[in-house]
Amino acid sequence: MKTFIILLQKEFRESWRSFKFLWMPLLFILLGITDPLTNYYMEDILNAVGNMPDGFSLSLPDFVPIDILMASTGQFQSIGLIVFVITIAGMINRERQNGTATLIYVRPISFFALFMSKWVVGSLLGILSVSLGYAGSMYYTAILYGSVDTMSFIQMVMSYCVWIVFATAVALMFSAIFKTAFATTFTIIVIPFGVMIDSLIGQYWHFSPWKLANYSVQLLSDTHNEYYIKTLLLTIILLILAIIIGILFTRKNAGTTKI
Amino acid sequence: MIDINWALVAPLLVIQFILFIVALIDLIRIHETNGPKWVWAIVIIFLNTIGPICYFIFGRKTS
Amino acid sequence: MIRIEHLTKVFGGEKVVDDLSFVLEAGTSTALIGPNGAGKTTTLSMLTGLLKPTNGSIRMNDTQDIRKEIGFLPQYPNFYPWLTALEFTEMTGKLNGVPSRDAKKQAERVLDFVGLTNDRSKKTSTFSGGMKQRLGIAQAIVHKPKLLILDEPVSALDPVGRREVINLLKQLQQHSTILYSTHILNDAEEMTDQLLFLKKGQLVEQGSLKDIRTKFDSFRYKIQFTSKEEASLFATQSQLPTTVEESYAFIEIKDGFPTMQELMSQLIVLPFSILKVERVTMTLEEIFMKVVGQ
Repeated sequence: MKTFIILLQKEFRESWRSFKFLWMPLLFILLGITDPLTNYYMEDILNAVGNMPDGFSLSLPDFVPIDILMASTGQFQSIGLIVFVITIAGMINRERQNGTATLIYVRPISFFALFMSKWVVGSLLGILSVSLGYAGSMYYTAILYGSVDTMSFIQMVMSYCVWIVFATAVALMFSAIFKTAFATTFTIIVIPFGVMIDSLIGQYWHFSPWKLANYSVQLLSDTHNEYYIKTLLLTIILLILAIIIGILFTRKNAGTTKI
Repeated sequence: MIDINWALVAPLLVIQFILFIVALIDLIRIHETNGPKWVWAIVIIFLNTIGPICYFIFGRKTS
Repeated sequence: MIRIEHLTKVFGGEKVVDDLSFVLEAGTSTALIGPNGAGKTTTLSMLTGLLKPTNGSIRMNDTQDIRKEIGFLPQYPNFYPWLTALEFTEMTGKLNGVPSRDAKKQAERVLDFVGLTNDRSKKTSTFSGGMKQRLGIAQAIVHKPKLLILDEPVSALDPVGRREVINLLKQLQQHSTILYSTHILNDAEEMTDQLLFLKKGQLVEQGSLKDIRTKFDSFRYKIQFTSKEEASLFATQSQLPTTVEESYAFIEIKDGFPTMQELMSQLIVLPFSILKVERVTMTLEEIFMKVVGQ
């Protein structure tokens, strides 16, 4: 427990000093406020940049708040998620490759504490970023399009955070198993590409972790989704599995640290 | 001209500015980067938002 | 006391370390000597717990987790560039169980010992090679380990840095058990109680410097003539195995033969002048070449 706290402190210090806790939330806030703003000004933008033929009239759909939040979620799920998992997928293997891990691994630490310290800091970074991102999106949506039920909104954000925490665990697991280049590739395939693949061919099944984000946004609507709870539970089970595998591989690959 | 409500757009510009300034200050103070420093300076200055974030992800040396 | 028995490491079917057994007595210094690729770093890595031995055991009295009792300095220590020397040393101390309230003081003390007091608040990214090596020593001793393991502690340093580090190690030698690897034999000669000669993963010789000397050191006589011709002429006439280098002739003594008297009686009848006769002992390097060359 004591080594966990020391390692946690170390991870926080690193993330703080490398400005991760500044730029990652700012990136998500930017992503979050982009959609409400651009959709709102879409007509003006099109008129200003495109040389519309005379008599051409553009009819944009009338957006409701849930559409905008769905669009923001789409931003998080693509650009935001890619940037986030790239950052996480280097947390364990990079230390082994540059040799900084050596002076930690030779001390009486448990690899459980080591992995969990990184997972906790990575998860908090993700939770902070998406919460602020959604807050930004919601703020603009509320001003420009109208509001949604507060409790449902909070529920949605928390539900999305489960997905981010899951993504953190998977990225860290790959980080423990492979070197940086492979870990990053696999993580990007499994997480952001996984989301895309699931949205393309996912109509054949009803619950998978990659659907959790969309199901979370649906919490805002009145329709009841019978698959939501199962999806949530499955995500949590896979999350725990990723952590266990990650810890085992952190220990197994400890000897690969550069000496 | 588009009639823009600047109160709405201002936060966007402020965030971009913070990213730009923090990346630039860090670049000046950091001991070493992956690749030449001046390249990162160009990236940060000329690529809005993406530049500073690319710098934070790929530019900072971790060992 | 640390007892290593039948330590073996196999990488991809190849025995990198092959059945090593030796004992490190408390308070002694042991040098692990061998050419590059002899398995020195692999051996040390197993002792630090970084690598799991394929076979064999490492036991330290009744300690369960040997990592608690070890301080390790890799050949090229790598530090987190975003931490200061003091922060890093304090953190590593805490990870080794130094109580939080003492950790900072203890870190300051060891940084003072290695001469980094003035640089302790600087980020390690600004450190030179010598400073990193000294910080490496500080983090290795911050928790007062029973065994200090050093991988090529001075090989990468310039002469000044090397002298500084050797002096630090000599001070540490007085109250800790040290195991270090090196391929620079002068260092070993300066601070060693026990030598372990490693070749292709095998322990080919072990013992104190004195024991190994007596075992391998053949005494040689070095006779200086005025010219190379005279030296060569002597070599052709000599009934003893003689080699010539410039104006020197070398005669090796094996099994106490020839004795000094016999040699003198040969020299005394020579028709040319002899400038110098001296007995030369082998350097550790030569002994090493002899042991490893077997």
